[in-house]
This record gives sequence, C-alpha cells and structure tokens, in this order.
Amino acid sequence: MGDKMAEDVKDVNQVPWDEWAKEHCDPFKASRKPEALEDVVVLDLSYGNFAGLYASSLLAEYGAKVIRIEPPGGDISRKMTPFGLKLKDTGLAYIVEGRNKYHITLNLETEEGREVLRELVEKADVLIETYKPGYMDSLGVGYRQLKKINPGLIYCAIYSYGHFGPKAKSNRPDYDVVNQAMGGIAWTTGIPEEYEEYPEHARVPTKLGPWLGWYVGGGFAAFGIMVALYWKRFTGEGQFIDVSEPEAMAKVTNYYVQYYHAKKKVINRVANFDPAVFVYTLVKAKDGMAFMAGFSDVNFYALTEIIGRPDLREKYPTIKERLTPENWPVVLHEIEKWTSERTQQEIIQATLDYKGEGTCVAGEVWTPKQTFEQENWWLRGGLRKIRDPDYGEVVVQGVVAKHEKTPGRIKWVCRPVGADNEYIYKEMLGYGKARLEELKSKGVI
Amino acid sequence: MNPEKVDLESLPYTEYIREILNPEEIFDKPEPLKGIRVLDIGTLIFGPMVATYLAEFGAEVIHVEMPGRGDTMRPLTPFADFYKNLAAGFEATNNSKYHITIDMRTPEGKDLIYRLAKRSDVIVENYRPGTVDRWGIGYRQLSKINPRLIYISMSGFGQWGPFTFRPSYDAVAQAVSGLIETTGFPDAIPLKAGAWIGDFYGALMGAFAVMVALYWRENTGEGQYIDHPQAENLMRNMDWTWIYIGLTGKNRERYGNRDVAIVPSDIVRAKDGYVAIAAFNEDEFRGLCEAMGRFDIFEKYTNIEERLKEENQAVIYKVLHEWAREKSVAELEELAEKFGFAAAKVMSAKDQYEDDHWRARKSVWIYEDPIWGELAEVAPVPKLSETPGRIKWTARPVGIDNEHVFIRLLGMSQEELEELYKKGVIGKWDENIPFACPPPDWDGKSGIFFP
Repeated sequence: MGDKMAEDVKDVNQVPWDEWAKEHCDPFKASRKPEALEDVVVLDLSYGNFAGLYASSLLAEYGAKVIRIEPPGGDISRKMTPFGLKLKDTGLAYIVEGRNKYHITLNLETEEGREVLRELVEKADVLIETYKPGYMDSLGVGYRQLKKINPGLIYCAIYSYGHFGPKAKSNRPDYDVVNQAMGGIAWTTGIPEEYEEYPEHARVPTKLGPWLGWYVGGGFAAFGIMVALYWKRFTGEGQFIDVSEPEAMAKVTNYYVQYYHAKKKVINRVANFDPAVFVYTLVKAKDGMAFMAGFSDVNFYALTEIIGRPDLREKYPTIKERLTPENWPVVLHEIEKWTSERTQQEIIQATLDYKGEGTCVAGEVWTPKQTFEQENWWLRGGLRKIRDPDYGEVVVQGVVAKHEKTPGRIKWVCRPVGADNEYIYKEMLGYGKARLEELKSKGVI
Repeated sequence: MNPEKVDLESLPYTEYIREILNPEEIFDKPEPLKGIRVLDIGTLIFGPMVATYLAEFGAEVIHVEMPGRGDTMRPLTPFADFYKNLAAGFEATNNSKYHITIDMRTPEGKDLIYRLAKRSDVIVENYRPGTVDRWGIGYRQLSKINPRLIYISMSGFGQWGPFTFRPSYDAVAQAVSGLIETTGFPDAIPLKAGAWIGDFYGALMGAFAVMVALYWRENTGEGQYIDHPQAENLMRNMDWTWIYIGLTGKNRERYGNRDVAIVPSDIVRAKDGYVAIAAFNEDEFRGLCEAMGRFDIFEKYTNIEERLKEENQAVIYKVLHEWAREKSVAELEELAEKFGFAAAKVMSAKDQYEDDHWRARKSVWIYEDPIWGELAEVAPVPKLSETPGRIKWTARPVGIDNEHVFIRLLGMSQEELEELYKKGVIGKWDENIPFACPPPDWDGKSGIFFP
C-alpha cells in the first residue's frame, strides 16, 4: 500500500506552493464558492457585549443566516465607540461586527414580543444571549422553556461568571476590562513595580489595548457552537452552552494555572521579557522597537554571532542561566548596544542574511497605523475596504482563515436598527404590513 | 439529569443550569467529536494547540514528534523549572493525545504519514510555508491519498503574500499586528501581552475553522485546505482599530488601562490590590456615582455622548481613581454588587486556582494523570450540556504510544516496528534528555495503553 501511495503523490502539479495556495484560497474569489453554514439559522440577542457579537460574526462570515435581535431602541453596543465617533447612528466597533447580519427589533419585555421570539426559535438552530443569568428564564424564554419548543436548539449563554456556580447570580455586568482582570492576562501584562525608570502609574497590571476579554470569549462561544452543530447533524439534538469570558482568557494565558498547581508559584508581570524563553524580547532600535528571539542553545548561538558577541555564550551557556530573571536586563543591555545603533530594517536584514547554524528571528513593532499601511494584509484580505450601502466606504478586518472550498466572506458591513424587520418578519413568519404596523404601535418592534 | 433526583422545572435558574451541566457527570455523557481522527504533525503551540481543542471534545489526536528529543515545546517551562521532567508549557499545550514519533524526513517516515493520513480526518501543521509540501506530506500530496482530508496550515503570515516566508513567533504576530503598540501607557513603553495569546488563541480559531470544514464535509464528503494566518487573527480581534484609522487617518494610541470607547472602564489601584471597574449604561453609571457619593458626576455626564468626549473622560477617570484608592478590593467588589456596576479583582493564577466559584464550575480541572499524578488544567471552555469537553490525561513521554498507534490502528507487526526503531525512523524518549522522559519516579508501566 505504501508504494502505491508514494506513486500517487508524485503526480502533483509543479506550481510553487505559495502560488498554488493563492490560487486556491484567494478570498477575492470567495463569491464563486459555496458557504459552509448556509443551512444554519442563528438568533443573536447579545446586548452590550462584543463576545456575543463576535461569535455571531464568525458564523455569519461562513454563511449562517444571523438575525440580530435588538430592543426597539437598539443595542447599547452601538454606543461603545472611541471618543463618541459614529457613522450615521452607529459606533465604529458595532459596524465592524454587524457583518452579514439581518437586523431586527423585538421587545422581549412584552408578552407579544416573547411570542414572536418563540416563533423565531422554532425555526432557529442557534440562539446567543448575553443577559445576566436568569433574565431570559424569568421572562419564560430561557433554555428550559425554549428547548420544549425546539429540542434542536443550541442555546449559548455568555456571561463573566457563567450561568452556574456561587457567583452566577451576581448583579455585576459583563465588560471587557473585568474579563481581562479575572482572566489573568492583566496580572501578567505590564511593567513590574521595581522598574523605576518608568512612571509609577505605568507600573501596574495592564490590560491588552483591544477588547480581547470579549473577543476571546466570543471565539470560544463560536467554537462551542460549531461543536454542538456538528453533534446536532448526527442526532438532531440541541443543547445548552455556558461560556465565561474570564475562563476563556485563562485558557489562552499560557500554563500559569498548571504551574501554580505543580509549584505553588505565581507568574507575575515581566514587562517585555518572557518567563520561559530568553532571548525573546523587545529591543530598542534606532527608529522604534523591534522584537528579537534566540532561545535554544543553537538559536542563541545564531543571535550572538549576528551581534558579534560570542562572549555572551560563555557567560550564559544554557537555558538555566538564560532563564534567570536577574540576568535578563543585563543581557538585554548588551544586546541593545548593537540594536540601538541600527534601524528595525537593518536588524531584520542581519538576521535574514545570517547563514550559520541556528535561527535568530527579528521583527518590527508597528503602530496600528504602520500596520494599516502594509500591502500584505490588503492582498490577503486581512483588511478590506468595503462600500456599504448603509455606511459608505469603510475599512474593516476581513475573514482570517482562508478555506479552499467554502471561504468566509463579507457581504455587507452592517445595518441600522430594525432595518430588516420587514424582510425577516415576512420571510420567516409571514407577517404582512398590517401585522408589522400593529406590532409597532404596541411597541413590540 | 436524573429525574428522580430533582425536579428540574422547579429549580431556581442557576441551580437548574448546574444540574444540566453537572461537572461530576461529564464522563457519563457522549463526546461530540468521537470518531474524528486528527494527525497533529506540528510543533510548539500554534499547531498542536489546534489539535488539543479538538481532543478536549473527543477527537482522537495523534501527536507526531521527532524520535528521542520530541517536540521543541518539551523544554518550555518558566525559569527552567520542571515538574518531574514535565514542562508547564508543554503540559498546557497538549492533553488527551497519543504521542508517537516519526522522522518525517525519511522515506519510511513519510510512508507512515501516508498510512496515517489515509485513516485521518484532519491534519494540522505549523511549519514554515512550503515546508511540508517540499517534504511530500503537504495538502497537495495527502489529499490524493484521502480526499476527505481537512488540512490546516497554521503560520505567521499565511501561505502566500509578501510576508509569507518570514519566520514568525507569537511575539512577531503581536508586534506586526499592532497589538503591542495598543497595549501599555502612552508615557511608558509598548507592551507584549503577558502570554502567548497569538498562539493559544490563534489555535482556537484554527480549531473553529476546522469545525466549519467538518460541518461542510457532511454535505459533500469533501475535505479541503485551510490557510490560517496568526497575525491576521490578532488584527481581526482588534475591535474598532482599523475602521477608526480608515476614517480618521489617525493612529490608535496606547491608552493605558482606560477604555476610550466605554466610559468609565479602567483598572484602579485600591488599598490592597488592583480592581477593574466599568459602568456604561445609565443604571450602572448612576450606581457607580452613588457608590462614589458623586451624584454630581452622574448628573453632569448622564449622557453617554458627553461621557465619551476626551476632555470629560479625563475628569471622570480622575474622580474614579481618587475614590478607589481609599477602598479595599473587597469593598469595591461589594459596592459593585450592591450598586450594580462592574468590578473585579485583577486575578493571578493563584487567585483563579483558589477561587470557589471556578472550583464549583470545575473550571480549574484537577485530575489524576496516569503517569504524572495529580495535575491541574484550565477546563475545556465552552461548557456543553449534552456533549461536554473533558481532559483525560496530559502530555506523554516521547514515543510512548508508538505501539498503541502503529499496531492497534495501522495493524503493523512487532517485526516491522523493530526494523523502524533500528533505523531511527521511530523511537522512544532519549534517556539523556529529561524533558523527553517519564517522571523519575515512574514505575515503568503506569499509563502505557499498549501492550
């Protein structure tokens, strides 16, 4: 069997690999290909929470029919925007996560509104909500009630403390910053107290700039939903999914819980060093900062060769010496003697020109504006300029994974509050104009 | 789940949810990805962690390493501080997998990969773009052997484009995406995240992309290729950054712990620790202002648009910091509970590990590993009521599952294996490399699945 297989694989086309990959995974050809999730219907009831919005964005990128259900006044997320900047009546962050979604309104605080929701649930595969635990249940539209209407429903609830456990009944709302705080990432990010060359207010636990405390939670929610959809395909069975964003953050915050259990030691913030890898740090360049790495013995060899400092190998011969925190600032200082005389580009070029043993990696540290200017993302669709009928020409981040056969895509960027009421209520529930007028007059939509 | 035990309908909500998600009943429930076989031929974190997320939901994951030394990840532990030969980094990146060895550069090794690929559903790799193709075990080759194969390549910049062949690590992705330059205080330095978030989180999104492809495969029976770029994933998660730059032409600066889009939202220094505080909607903001005894602030800045103005942000944040400085962490958390705003202690791994709430949720998963004894992991994150994720065992010594996989799965004979051992195509751990080995106190039998 082995020989036969070896024969089979020989016959591959001789196109260079990157050309093959571009040809087959080019996001600009996505509209010619099918969508993986086109039979999935998602109701997104997120409110004031970008974890929920991001989860439904991911599903919408792959073709799920996502219906955003907002209260008649609109989701407060539309107001979360830098310095109050809006396009029409919607904040910038919301516009980014409005992609491919139908936007309808529905007032769950009315019985008629809840009846409409039940009708929609009958036709849905997934429901996402971010209210405090028990809110939906108290309205009679929680998981335990809705699964009776639709046993195939996948009900995903997202909340900082999750939906069970002693703190699940908390009265505290869910925000990015509290998720980053509880998730452990803020504890390990930042400048240590004792680095006195920096101002005092900056020597504190530091959150990541963007809303990773929400986005990471949303990513895990979308993954959980996909796992549940896969199971549903075989069994028809729905289920409940509980996602706590701080737990999600802890899952991607290295090995810190594992290490605490084994050694009863806490990993604290170490500025731009890394407790398990050195050299793996930011260095000062002539024109900003750069990243440099050369950790294992052979790669540290490469680094010291490049900067012409073989003496450092003798002083710090094994990872034991190189992982001693007291040595970090000392070695960094020595490395910076070389890097601070060079530009980012010169540092990178030197690592690329090196032909000896081992690999030393270097890279630029860019401001977002510099990142924005790199052609690479525009060619790969990581950043997209889109002309949207509602919001005009905007730049948004594109679809990350490039699937060969069922690529994700952006079809439209966002919709105003209630913009799809007429279409969705007609298409899914058969409501005519008169019925919509009636619901509107009662404050239901 | 047991109707005699409890009447689910009458339970208060969170207790009802506890019943349907009962952490003690996880192993009584089915695994959603059972029957999916994943060949994890990558190294370090970005590839292997994709497979770990799938393993936690029941996929059978075979992690392929080099004979002797094993995965490059095996020595990654803080301060070179190992736990019985086990590196904390390697532990966190691999659980519930089978660990085999193959030297993939040899013809015999390649043949083993072909045989495994024929029987697998998913392959994950994270070598530099073009490497596996050159080795003859890329998608172009293996999809011929198995057209149902889903093949995902995880890389820094993707498989084509001007940056494709640049070497990349987590920190490179953090640096070029702009994430580092948005983190930290404007009057200090840009900061790397205190974790390899580009790897661990990027891998999650790789697992999501695999699930999308698995779902589609049920329609057509066809596998496909997925190109998953790390830096683009971080950029995707940077909320309003790009639309803001596109519209204003301005850079997104570093704002320290302050949120400039949600006001107030910040981390404050309390008497005995640090606390994150946020209050955006009117009720929450009123609650916070009442707790601060500053109803004047509420009245002045009730309107969200007013609060988001740069000059007003500064006033509100100043008041918040001055007030919080005099309070303890516990006091701030209690006030938040009472007045309905958000406040949470900045938690360390110790705080998380000891937290009663996380323990009750089994979010810190303490278990008995057959080789290493008692360990703790962060539990599988989405908690599913009918098909929950689970952790079975942690990373295993180099090559320990060779027999289990090559004999039980591929049906190879002992003689064939001996030949491959002799040629160095496969192998066990090198006794001279502690981090490749079982723990020093190992009895030589525990945790061996076959023979």
